[in-house]
Amino acid sequence: MTISKSLFIQSSALGYRLLALVLASLILMFADSRFGYLSQARFYASYAVTPIHWLSEQPQVLSNRVGQIFKSRNDLLAENISLQEELLIQQQQMQKIDHLVAENQRLSELLNASAFVDDIVVRAQLVSESPDPFRKQVLINKGSIHGVYEGQPVLDADGLFGQVVSVEPYYSWVQLITDPQHSTPVQVNRNGIRAVVSGTPGSLHEMVMNNMTGNADIVVGDLLVTSGLGQLFPAGYKVGVITSIIRDPGQPFARVTVAPTAQLDRSRNLLLVF
Amino acid sequence: MAGSAILRGSHGIWVVVVSFLIAAFLLVMPLPEWLEYYRPEWMALAVIYWVMALPNRIGLLSAWVLGFFVDVLEDSLLGLNGLVLALVAYMTLSLYQRLRMFTMLQQASTVFMLIGLHQLVSFWVLTVSNQTTSPNLMFLVSALSSAIVWPLVFYILRYLRRSFRVV
Repeated sequence: MTISKSLFIQSSALGYRLLALVLASLILMFADSRFGYLSQARFYASYAVTPIHWLSEQPQVLSNRVGQIFKSRNDLLAENISLQEELLIQQQQMQKIDHLVAENQRLSELLNASAFVDDIVVRAQLVSESPDPFRKQVLINKGSIHGVYEGQPVLDADGLFGQVVSVEPYYSWVQLITDPQHSTPVQVNRNGIRAVVSGTPGSLHEMVMNNMTGNADIVVGDLLVTSGLGQLFPAGYKVGVITSIIRDPGQPFARVTVAPTAQLDRSRNLLLVF
Repeated sequence: MAGSAILRGSHGIWVVVVSFLIAAFLLVMPLPEWLEYYRPEWMALAVIYWVMALPNRIGLLSAWVLGFFVDVLEDSLLGLNGLVLALVAYMTLSLYQRLRMFTMLQQASTVFMLIGLHQLVSFWVLTVSNQTTSPNLMFLVSALSSAIVWPLVFYILRYLRRSFRVV
């Protein structure tokens, strides 16, 4: 009897309850997208979901550990030798770079330009991708307790990877540079032409270079590096390579596509720049 | 004994909580890239089942609060999943008597429509609020995969509900 009674009460009150919750959601969404009020609430609520992130990280941690245990001695030796060779080559290149940095600094001082600053990097590991396949966002295993902050640039070994968009205590979300919401100020490494490169919906490996006039001095294969404008990304990190230029006289701008140099779908080891 | 459990009012509610936690884990569990599109909406499926089974216990508010945590978990717009899960809970509440009578195929096709609605509304909200979302209709594929895994979810959760006598 109580059940049938509650049913009829429910069906009349249900609509109002739904309306109230829909309104509450709309207010929340509006506040979240337009103002920063809710980032604190999100930060504290994310303590509750940290165990789930931790759990989703475990298969990878476990497979790494098992992989380490079952690596044969010969494999390790071979890896050691190849790494040592790589290190030697890198060290040789570093010697030249030291010299170039010093020279660059002297020249900058002559020009009264600001000095070249060496960036501090911290290693982070990718935990998972965004469950929404359309958002190009990944979770990394460093959070506010490691000093990660919103807007922090993230690199991988081959170039700019993305930037931190949301920080949790132990994890943080990184938006990839090819997300359609993301734009990167760049310059062409060859001649210093400045531009902005934006992500595209769909492909993970394609960006477009905005507002390039038809006669701009760019060619396929040009390397783009961060320009340091916008004060978010330090200057000089590789962003992408121009893959195609379509100069249509009917259009005000050329359509320029860029492939990111970072291994956006492969890199697990990332670097946070401080 | 069963009577006293009903009087106490919260017998075995931890089973529901644990199933939501598992759904949350499945929601963010790393998947290969090509499989991402087919990831069922586990949380919505769990909400549909528990609303159908315990309509007096799991309702709009629980769905909305769950949605809040899903938003935090996925780093999506705060309130988005609350909105769509409350909507799914509402639809299920108005359908649950029929859903219980349905054959598995009918249930699965209802689930297909419910999840499709869930996806459509969140797509619409994301588009309006200028967030990154699907450039095509691929976002509807998870409605199909959700309907396909529904029988599995249903039998597992019903088995749990019966063996732990959740009321």
